[in-house]
Amino acid sequence: MKEYTEKIRETAKSLLKEGKVDIFIGYRKGTVPMMNEPFAVSDPDKTDLLYWDSNCGMNLCNYLTKRTDRIGIIANGCNSRNIVTHIIENQIKREQLYILGIPCTGMIDPRAVRRAVKYREITDVEESNGRVIVKGDGFEETFEKKDVLQKNCAECLHRNPVIYDELVAEKVPEQEGIETFRDVKKIEAMGSDERWGFFTRMISSCIRCYACRNACPLCYCTTCFVDEAQPQWVGKSNDPTDTMTFHILRAFHCAGRCTDCGACERACPMGINVRQFTKKLNKDALELFSWEAGMREDRRPPMDVYKVDDYNDFIR
Amino acid sequence: MTDKVFLKKDWVEALKAARDSFRIFVPVRDGDFHNFHSLEDWTIPNFDFFNTRLSPKSIVYPQSERIFECLNDPEDPGKGILKEAPKDYPPQAIVGIRPCDAHAFHIVKKNFEGPEYRDPWWMQRFESTVLVGLGCNAPCPTCFCTSVGGGPFHEEYLDAILFDLGDRYLARGLTEKGGEFISKMNGGSSADEKSIKEAKGLVAEAEKKVVSRLPFDKIGEKEVTGLFNAPFWEEAAFSCINCGTCTFLCPTCWCFDIQDEVSGRQVDRIRNWDTCMSPLFTLEGSGHNPRDKKFQRFRQRFMHKLKYYPDKYKNGVQCSGCGRCVRYCPVNIDIRTIAGLMNEF
Amino acid sequence: MNEWQPKITTFLCNWCSYGAADLAGVSRFQYPPFFRIIRVPCSARISPKFILAAFRHGSDGVWISGCHPGDCHYLEGNYYARRKFAMLKGLLEHIGIEPGRLNFSWISSAEATKFAETAKIVADQVKALGPARYFIKKRAEVA
Repeated sequence: MKEYTEKIRETAKSLLKEGKVDIFIGYRKGTVPMMNEPFAVSDPDKTDLLYWDSNCGMNLCNYLTKRTDRIGIIANGCNSRNIVTHIIENQIKREQLYILGIPCTGMIDPRAVRRAVKYREITDVEESNGRVIVKGDGFEETFEKKDVLQKNCAECLHRNPVIYDELVAEKVPEQEGIETFRDVKKIEAMGSDERWGFFTRMISSCIRCYACRNACPLCYCTTCFVDEAQPQWVGKSNDPTDTMTFHILRAFHCAGRCTDCGACERACPMGINVRQFTKKLNKDALELFSWEAGMREDRRPPMDVYKVDDYNDFIR
Repeated sequence: MTDKVFLKKDWVEALKAARDSFRIFVPVRDGDFHNFHSLEDWTIPNFDFFNTRLSPKSIVYPQSERIFECLNDPEDPGKGILKEAPKDYPPQAIVGIRPCDAHAFHIVKKNFEGPEYRDPWWMQRFESTVLVGLGCNAPCPTCFCTSVGGGPFHEEYLDAILFDLGDRYLARGLTEKGGEFISKMNGGSSADEKSIKEAKGLVAEAEKKVVSRLPFDKIGEKEVTGLFNAPFWEEAAFSCINCGTCTFLCPTCWCFDIQDEVSGRQVDRIRNWDTCMSPLFTLEGSGHNPRDKKFQRFRQRFMHKLKYYPDKYKNGVQCSGCGRCVRYCPVNIDIRTIAGLMNEF
Repeated sequence: MNEWQPKITTFLCNWCSYGAADLAGVSRFQYPPFFRIIRVPCSARISPKFILAAFRHGSDGVWISGCHPGDCHYLEGNYYARRKFAMLKGLLEHIGIEPGRLNFSWISSAEATKFAETAKIVADQVKALGPARYFIKKRAEVA
């Protein structure tokens, strides 16, 4: 990871110095373990604050919309796919961007690490050679990184950026033999009552903070449907039906656009597996429209096009 | 007041005995974290925790609360006239509340009980609540209670305090309410010298462990407009995604929004927690929004906590140092860093 | 008439299914009386929000009917709608709304018989499922 960080700093510095970009967006080391902060730098002398390791879970594409300047940005597989989605949806122009591609081996899931150390207080987490060393008051434990990966990273099929101007390192091998939708299939095998029970229980702790929505780079609407007042589609109290309405519509707004970057789930302060909603849509988009979001700049998203012989069996 | 000692193996049963007089809230393991839940026969309390994910503020100040109601029934003579929703406020106790969260209630009280206004719902619930604190033997690296006028065993805002002595708890009543609660509990024996000494030792040891600080000593003397227009806000707010995690998890955030809901003929006026991070918080009917930009909303939160509140109430900062916002902010915005920027400006 | 009667919110496209309903009426075809019809300019006008709102307000079923593929008054509205509905139906049923509550059909303005027949099928399905149990916004469950 050190080599990545050095290369990022170096590239950012030269891009800013040469005036190729006005701002460079990356991460800096966080103040708490397993958490790095999205960070923008415009002063070439401050690029040494940039940092990269497996705790860069927040999607940087959040910070691209409505910008008119030239931006340097780092992007791993999923973030690069979100850049493509932004380009397709006219949120940013390719010419504005200098993309420093990052072949990614996945992000560490802070929840998995805390679980693995039995919820003892963690003071430091280090990474070396595919291992994660967790330190706390009076303990030090080592885990294989693959055992503490974020769930979406463990199932990731596109670790390498799909769009970039430069790569920080050689591409990493893509994961093979992964059954991406295993959890969705498990729910599909349940009956309706069981599914309703599963999802209501899942969101029962939701506090409607909208971290999942705001962490999502796809959520850039000027006025979100939850904020609409006339008509008001969803109540604002923590009534279970209102909470469910929010989750269904939030997910549906991501239909055919979600890259499964996992930012929503990582952001949730209550640990709700909000990806269970979007994953079903990803599965359907793949099965019905052979679509994976953000893979190509020259294809319109599935909800924006049609085929005469589209799936029609559900219509009488 | 006399101290009492309860063996841990008898602890839950002892607590349950007090249920005749109090509704009791205890920390319960909820998946990956703890939260306060009502102590029922089936509840498994778990006092082995750093702090609960959600602060206990919702026990006094629910996230959503019906405050007024009426029937929109043509037959009803009171049609369309909102009346206060009937509620009772039976005595309740939060057992295991951390001293920082108890401190938070006293910070928030300044808002809900002023010289002019008194919030009936918050105040009645607060007054019927006994705060039975559990001192922190092992404060976290994100705790900074000692720099905001609290401490891991700070007794000032509690009605009773518990000391975790390994195999037993030492319970000390601090107020009349707290003493009464302890007297309602089953069993327990008068504390022996050894336990009292051990408890004393815990306090000193724990205070040493709180190493993190919130720098704000110079903010008080700064001019409000100067700080408001400081150049660092936009840069500091860059990573903020304007979610409500910090405000909803915060024990000292009190802002609310009022919504009317109609279902059938039932009309309810409900107040919900609101968050200054949301653009809707300040959106005016005209469509104008005085806090239109992300950094303005971001600035509001920190200015309120560290400048407006101290200036207005002369009651210290509006932060009890629990560290929840630091730990759970999805983009790692750290109030300690922001306070540092304000302090050094 | 003590038997439970479902409420089925029905969105009909102005250019086809709404005409079919009209024709079924003037032709005196019999079909069940459970439908609350909302006329829309095109099946593509129907936002997922409408469907959720219908369920939230206590509909036992929702039926959406538009023009046959290729016959859209606006040339391609129903093609877009079809993709949207396919995804939405999948998601709602995944979450636990029973299959059979959310129904779609293509009915042209000449197909009064198909309208009456589909109405019967939809009504029977919803009746068999019984009153809606999930996803109904009642009085807010708050403190």
